[in-house]
Amino acid sequence: MKTVSVSSVSKRFGSVQAVSDVSFEVFPGEIFGLLGPNGAGKTTTIRMMLDIFEPDSGEIEILGGRLDEEKKKRIGYMPEERGLYKDQKLEPTLVFLASLKGMSSAQAHRDLEDWLKRLDLWEHRSKEIKELSKGMQQKAQLIATLVHDPDLIVVDEPFSGLDPVNTRLVKDILEEQRRAGKTILMSTHQMNQVEALCNRIVLINQGRSVLYGEVSEIKRRFAGNALTLQGQGEIPPLPGVLDMRHQNGAWQLTLDENSDPQEILRQVAGLDSFQVERFELTQPSLDDIFVTVVQEGRLSAEVANA
Amino acid sequence: MHNTFLIARHEYLLRVAKRSFILSTLAMPLFIVVILAVTILVALTTTDTRPVGYVDPAGILAAGAQDVETNTVFIPFDDARSAQDALEAGEIQAFYLLPQDYPRSRSVELYYWDEAPDEDIQDDFEELLSVSLAAGLEPDIQRRMLQGPHLMVRSADGRRELDTANIFSFILPFGASFLFIFTVIGSAGYLLQAVADEKENRTVEILMTTINHRQLLAGKALGLMAVTITQLAIWLVTLAIGLLVAQRFFEPLRSLQVPWGYLGVAALFFLPAYGLIAGLMMATGAAFGDLQSGQQVGGLFNLLFMVPLFFSVLVFTNPDHPLLVIFTLFPTTAFLTVLMRWGMGGLPLWQLVISWVLLTGSALVSVWLSGQIFRMGMLMYGQRIDFRLAFRELADVIRNRGSRPAVQVER
Repeated sequence: MKTVSVSSVSKRFGSVQAVSDVSFEVFPGEIFGLLGPNGAGKTTTIRMMLDIFEPDSGEIEILGGRLDEEKKKRIGYMPEERGLYKDQKLEPTLVFLASLKGMSSAQAHRDLEDWLKRLDLWEHRSKEIKELSKGMQQKAQLIATLVHDPDLIVVDEPFSGLDPVNTRLVKDILEEQRRAGKTILMSTHQMNQVEALCNRIVLINQGRSVLYGEVSEIKRRFAGNALTLQGQGEIPPLPGVLDMRHQNGAWQLTLDENSDPQEILRQVAGLDSFQVERFELTQPSLDDIFVTVVQEGRLSAEVANA
Repeated sequence: MHNTFLIARHEYLLRVAKRSFILSTLAMPLFIVVILAVTILVALTTTDTRPVGYVDPAGILAAGAQDVETNTVFIPFDDARSAQDALEAGEIQAFYLLPQDYPRSRSVELYYWDEAPDEDIQDDFEELLSVSLAAGLEPDIQRRMLQGPHLMVRSADGRRELDTANIFSFILPFGASFLFIFTVIGSAGYLLQAVADEKENRTVEILMTTINHRQLLAGKALGLMAVTITQLAIWLVTLAIGLLVAQRFFEPLRSLQVPWGYLGVAALFFLPAYGLIAGLMMATGAAFGDLQSGQQVGGLFNLLFMVPLFFSVLVFTNPDHPLLVIFTLFPTTAFLTVLMRWGMGGLPLWQLVISWVLLTGSALVSVWLSGQIFRMGMLMYGQRIDFRLAFRELADVIRNRGSRPAVQVER
């Protein structure tokens, strides 16, 4: 059963088309990446999902239907614009936010003890939030997102402001939530984290969905006709290979668009001058894909405007 | 409803724990206590408590001296010589001399050194003399004579009256009106800050994905109203205790009665008046990205509530003046004008009813509008609403009966 279903959703603010015909689905037990450059429409999409804005058109279903007051209690949201009551003490603030999510005060105190200890904030629970470091406030915000054990977790840039140790801790917590069957929707610019955590992604650019699917499949799709070969010896010019470079102890082969990588492998394997040790289709990083897609989008927009 | 309560409780506990609230709330009782203490101290240290003598060869005061209990101790002397010796010796502060022919002359002589006895002592002697002179009369006539005149000024149509025997019952509601309005306006700052806080500290997005904007605004308004009522209750209780204590030292205050009618009207108008100012202030706080800009506009609204203060004299001289009738009916000026005119007893029922209905209606509209503006402005961090767009969207909302407004926001 889908936890989130966004179907052909559009939103316009005055003369700006913020989101146009965006669709995606998110399922239990997966970490889904909502990606895009600044101003692409990610936050607007999240705000429409969470009923802060109403879409101009399209359908959104959360936890099996329209979002209502009861379903809101099953959602944990960490917005990009972080915020807690700066002049208040940490623990009472978290208890208040948990009580709004339907937890009793006693239960909230019990569960918060575990979370505060785990995230090294227990000693700081009686401090005013403004006294905490940025990283501590970030962790406090994560606790506010998770303390009521939500089924749907929406986190916007969860790693910003965290040191490597805390980044690892947050990653572990998100993985743990995923293993527990929770649905996690994560919006971030940190592509290495997306590659490490996300099963599937949607990339939004200029309000439109430009990439959607499994990370491995998308990477395969963008792999193009390029090969990486590692081995001993020299490779002579081969038919169907446009370019061949030796970099960092491996050969990078660029094939023409009609060449079959398997055929090239067979040719190389038959060579006496080269002994194959490793053969793989060259896959671009998500970072490369992100940049390529966004730049193509800009180029198209410039051409259209011209 | 539960969420509204949680927000209200959170807002209440947050505000009453603030140092500024504690200081401002305690400042008033402290002020009353200090004034009371200084007054009592001055009264005790400057009042001459020595007895007063009298010389009464005709025995006129004999009857009164037995029946009358006064704060002043009166000591009889056989003749003027012995009284004067006591005065010179400082045993008494003054003495009265009733000549032998007092029943005919009706004149009494008062002897003292540098300062005449204070008014209370002279009142006590007059009481002693009056009781003595009335000693042989019928009890009813005697009582009526001793009570003296009771002047009641009443308007020709009988609606307004002024009882000179109970002047403080007239002044008190007037003073309390100012207390009420200043308390309500004082809370306007909190109301303005209430929504600006969540915008500035960015918690609004978390709250809005948990509760709806109506619950948030209603909870905040109720919480802050409870704060205002707490402050007002502390002040009124202190004032009441202060008056009870002051009665022991200040005779005219003893005729004070609890103005139940006034309190009833104040309670009736308090809620809608608070709703109106809450709606206006929260709308202002929601419309402006920063507190400072909001405070400037909020100050203008405050002025609208305080306009009747500039016409206080008119309330005394002509409480039915057409301008005051307009102020009574106009929502922002209704609360203060009604309370001030009630003190003068000159408020027709039809004006009271229409004023309350208009005030309640405008309070409901202002709260609803604040909700719409809040929804539009809540995510415009650091920006002001585009008012042209906002009015257009509001008009759309009214036409479409509740569909949500769209606004220009960051993506």
